[in-house]
Amino acid sequence: MTGAPGSLAHTVGLDAISAAWVDGLRASGNAHEDCVATLHAVLLRVARHEVARRAGSLQLRGPELEDVAQQATDDALMAIRAKVAGFRGESRFTTWAFKFVMFEVSTKMGRHFWRERRATWDDEAWEQLPALVDSPETHGEQRELFAALRRAIDHDLTSLQRRVFVAIALNEVPMDAFARELGVSRNAVYKTLFDARRKLRVSLLAAGYARPYSMSGT
Amino acid sequence: MKGDGDLEAALAAMLSDPGCDAVFEVLHEYVDEQLCGGDPALSNPGVAAHLLSCPACREDYLGLLEAAEKFGDARPGTAPE
Repeated sequence: MTGAPGSLAHTVGLDAISAAWVDGLRASGNAHEDCVATLHAVLLRVARHEVARRAGSLQLRGPELEDVAQQATDDALMAIRAKVAGFRGESRFTTWAFKFVMFEVSTKMGRHFWRERRATWDDEAWEQLPALVDSPETHGEQRELFAALRRAIDHDLTSLQRRVFVAIALNEVPMDAFARELGVSRNAVYKTLFDARRKLRVSLLAAGYARPYSMSGT
Repeated sequence: MKGDGDLEAALAAMLSDPGCDAVFEVLHEYVDEQLCGGDPALSNPGVAAHLLSCPACREDYLGLLEAAEKFGDARPGTAPE
């Protein structure tokens, strides 16, 4: 596909609509302002749709949802304007731009998570495993498996790995909320979770629980 | 976590997983390939592995897929209704 007629040299190779967005963002004067205003309106629509899609998991109300959508839109637009020079047309411009909305919505909703859950989720999560082990629905080998998992969590993980695994994998705390709590990036939390998972897999394999918990992808 | 399937998901950790930052860099390509009828999990299995293991990136992916399909045709000069 080629750029729109009259598009700037740096947009050659983009599809026509993507080239028009990039040209508008890199233009000056009214053309630039009009493009930014339209993009903001599109991003806001996307953000509102996304916060509504995720709202159930955080029990947010109308004004809070709108607040998240507005903030996510403003920050996504700022990121897009800063990074548009690096857009090379690997996808439609809109898909690339909407990605920043998703990231900002995740980040903002992670902040809201703690407003409703300042409780001691670490302790609550720890209570889940013994309950699972003793549940009437948990029988035989499965009960032994969960007991082995609990031992591995206790003995094989570092303090940080244990905290991350229990919060995210067991208690389903959103990763962005946990990253904010620790003051680190989502990627850093995921790396810790990844290492914890691999340690636990090795421990379960060593304890004889190779199936179905094989090390897929190794 | 309630059973074997949940435990398998809780322990998912594939070596081909490139991590959140690397996936974010190519997520738009992955989504557009899928919307064009392709199978991005074949051309980029590392991203597919990560999306299975990372709940945060999976949520971003699902949201982006839906938004790109629903609003991806927006163009400058045409404000949404």
